[in-house]
Amino acid sequence: MTAPLLEVENLNVWFDLEGGGELHAVQGVDFSLEPGERMGLVGESGCGKTTTALAIMGLLPPSASVAGRVLIDGEDILAGGEAAMRPHRWVDIAIVFQGAMNALNPVRTIGQQIVESLEIHDRGKGAAARARTGELLESVGIPAARASRYPHELSGGMRQRAAIAMALSCSPRVLIADEPTTALDVMVQAQILELLDGLCNDFGLALVLVTHDLPVVAQLCNHCSVMYAGEIVERGPLDVLYHAPGHPYTRMLFAASPDLGMGDAPVLSIPGAPPRLDRPIDGCPFRPRCDSSFAACVERPHLRGVGDDHAAACHLNEMVTA
Amino acid sequence: MRGTDYVLKRIAFAIVTIFVAVSLNFVLFRLAPGTAVTNLARVPHATPALRNALKKQFGLDKSKSEQYVIYLEQLVHGNLGVSFENEQPVSKNLRIAVINTLPMVTIGTLFSILIGTLTGVIAAWRRGTPTEAATVSSALGFYAMPTQWLGLMLIIAFAGVLPTGGMTNEFLLDPGFWQHLRDLASHILLPALTLGLTLYGEYTLIVRSAMLETLGEDYILTARAKGLRPWTIVRKHALRNAMLPITTLVALSLGYIVAGAILIEIVFSWPGVGRAVYLAVQERDYPMLQGAFLLLTISVVICNLIADLLYFKLDPRITE
Amino acid sequence: MSEASLLIEAPPEGGQNRRGFVLHTLRHRPAAVIGATILVLVALGAILAQWIAPYPLHQQVGPVFAHPSWHHLLGLDDGGIDMVTLLMWGARVSLVVGFAATLVSMAIGGAVGVLAGYFGGWVDTVLMRITDYFLVLPDVPLMIVVAAIWGPSLFHIIIVIGILLWTSTARVIRAQVKSVRERVYVKRARALGAGHTRIVFTHVLPQVAPLLIANTVLTVAVAIFDETALSFLGLGDPSTTSLGKVIENAFQRAAISAGAWWAIVWPGVLVTLIILGCSLVGGALEDALNPRLRVAHLGARTFRLRPLVGRGQDAL
Repeated sequence: MTAPLLEVENLNVWFDLEGGGELHAVQGVDFSLEPGERMGLVGESGCGKTTTALAIMGLLPPSASVAGRVLIDGEDILAGGEAAMRPHRWVDIAIVFQGAMNALNPVRTIGQQIVESLEIHDRGKGAAARARTGELLESVGIPAARASRYPHELSGGMRQRAAIAMALSCSPRVLIADEPTTALDVMVQAQILELLDGLCNDFGLALVLVTHDLPVVAQLCNHCSVMYAGEIVERGPLDVLYHAPGHPYTRMLFAASPDLGMGDAPVLSIPGAPPRLDRPIDGCPFRPRCDSSFAACVERPHLRGVGDDHAAACHLNEMVTA
Repeated sequence: MRGTDYVLKRIAFAIVTIFVAVSLNFVLFRLAPGTAVTNLARVPHATPALRNALKKQFGLDKSKSEQYVIYLEQLVHGNLGVSFENEQPVSKNLRIAVINTLPMVTIGTLFSILIGTLTGVIAAWRRGTPTEAATVSSALGFYAMPTQWLGLMLIIAFAGVLPTGGMTNEFLLDPGFWQHLRDLASHILLPALTLGLTLYGEYTLIVRSAMLETLGEDYILTARAKGLRPWTIVRKHALRNAMLPITTLVALSLGYIVAGAILIEIVFSWPGVGRAVYLAVQERDYPMLQGAFLLLTISVVICNLIADLLYFKLDPRITE
Repeated sequence: MSEASLLIEAPPEGGQNRRGFVLHTLRHRPAAVIGATILVLVALGAILAQWIAPYPLHQQVGPVFAHPSWHHLLGLDDGGIDMVTLLMWGARVSLVVGFAATLVSMAIGGAVGVLAGYFGGWVDTVLMRITDYFLVLPDVPLMIVVAAIWGPSLFHIIIVIGILLWTSTARVIRAQVKSVRERVYVKRARALGAGHTRIVFTHVLPQVAPLLIANTVLTVAVAIFDETALSFLGLGDPSTTSLGKVIENAFQRAAISAGAWWAIVWPGVLVTLIILGCSLVGGALEDALNPRLRVAHLGARTFRLRPLVGRGQDAL
């Protein structure tokens, strides 16, 4: 059996807190991805999904410590720390950040910034790199002549396209998109999603889509992992999660999503807030907000199979199967 | 062209500021209470001829508003009056002083910018380590020292090793070109070092906080994600952006350089503008004092304008 | 990413009420503790000078430039006056000048800042334009000119320094007032018909106060620095002894060539300590009020790898 393209094994991330103590932001995340596969990573803000994405690329700040393995073709790229990670970045995995962010350097042209990534990974120099930059920009729908523009001279949607072109510059096999459409207006959102869809098809990219926005996942992904309080609480094919969720949180998340809500059913919001991660959690982390918790929930549930390619971390499933 | 507006606005601002300074000069020296003593024509020991000439040049028997116009006219022609001390034109005295001051201040300032940038970057880079703590403490220490006192401390430390006063060795008769240059260099060392050290502290702190600010920006994370090496990121992405706040703050510290230069020239008897100010204060040589004041103020305004234009060059976002 | 920075932020500090804030910051930041300790010690020495100074200020107690000894720990100056005594009285004058000048500049800067920020419009434009001009003009030469024309006296020095240091205060306060003005309770107070003066004094000023204190402390440092500079040019009050004058005096009387380093080293050390103390306290307050430092994405330190024992959450 060959190793999957990307495999994340028991990933844990802690942040040191300023006043002492630490925050267990990601707690034993596992998943794997085959070439061309697209996975959504969803959850409320603060659930650890962005931290997971950053950890996979080794982009955590100094205050973080990390444990677990991130394997590309079976090779652990996390084990060697920051320096060993560097040659894999952009070549194996690339990332597109949130649209609203200052992800492009404001004092350098977008062309310069794309050429730079080509040059450091030996994908061409000088005129060749500039020509390739033009092609890349055209492939995301930006006229090649715009390469000499500064980020502030482009619209939000165009900036995000440029960021995508930059991410594709070294033909990575895995693309992580962290809230790629947040803060863009609806029309532009749709265009960016369409673009990502096309590019993933054309290049056979594996995609990890990090978002809080379920409709976005529905548009791009077939698989979905739901994170809550630093761990994956359910994963499976998107339609299974939608029609037969194995975790109350997933059910409520879908119900809270207006565009996917069932017919006339009122849009629900999930009451309460996620637990604090700077102290150990007793029992099921979702218990205080759950509408169907029962005695068994004082024990922490683990992710276990509840169907074909479908797993959830909830004691309710044990009752059903028992 | 991009930002023509901005450039014009900055230039206009500089011109108006100079005008404000020039007018302030007039007000301070001729209108403010107690200015009877400052009458330009009261050159001690002057011949009646010189006195009358000055009176006529500056229209001293006319009304204040007429005098103001005449003052501006004379200023445009570079006429700042005559020094009470040596009865030479103020402009001539100042020209010599500027030529002496410039190399000392330039060397000291460049030194401080160079070292300050280096240590500031290192401090930001080594955030949260003892290196940062040590760098910041030493910077704060130098920042807190009175300039004149630091100069005196260097004199105590280097007395006998380096010359501690004047610009040249007076006893060096008929020196050759290289000998003269070496002599000059050894004399310039301590004053320039004093200026460099007082400014170094401030610049280190400025560069450190500007760098920390940019190192927290999202595009730094992008650069890291692209697989760039840390120092490449610092050079190509962080420093370039950090230059923007640094430019502004260094421009604001120009007054500090001027103050430092005055104090240092007193300590090391350096025959420049600062010492001219000092001597003018001692001798109540008002024409010299106001000439030097104008010169210093206008230089600061012009350097400020240069900083503004540099900022414009560094930041493509400025359009208006 | 914003999520990551959110997570790393420490929980909000306690004691956020305005009066408690300054004290809280002082107690919880090492830099502020060191700075405050220095300032308190110096201030105590200065205030108690007339009781605890070992010798009278104007009395020759030994030979000119006598070496430090058990009787005179820091030696004697060019007039045979005990240096410890001189420093205590000098610090007193320097602190008085520093604080009084700062008071003047606070009054001007605070008024300009509040007026500009509160009223906005053309008042703001005019006041800020004036501030811009003053910001560009170099302070010290202007101080020298004014002091030289007015003649040397402590009062003049205080006024001269005060009227030239207000620009940064004005800008800081204006920005703060602008934001306070937009807050709901201020708008409500205005809607309820409260007068401008009342709103400024009961709503705006208390909000701006912590920042004003931070700014005051930093301005004191600059004022003391400027006082030593003016004294060094011979523009100090001839009848009083400030630390700046002590340095100038030692310099004029050639303490260095006389080998009497103690006459010149200690006053400078004391000034440095005072300025350092003010910078530490003011800087810590500013940082606490306005935490600009974000999480750095890059630095010498990187994230750490941690071994995992066993497998699964339970093993952690």
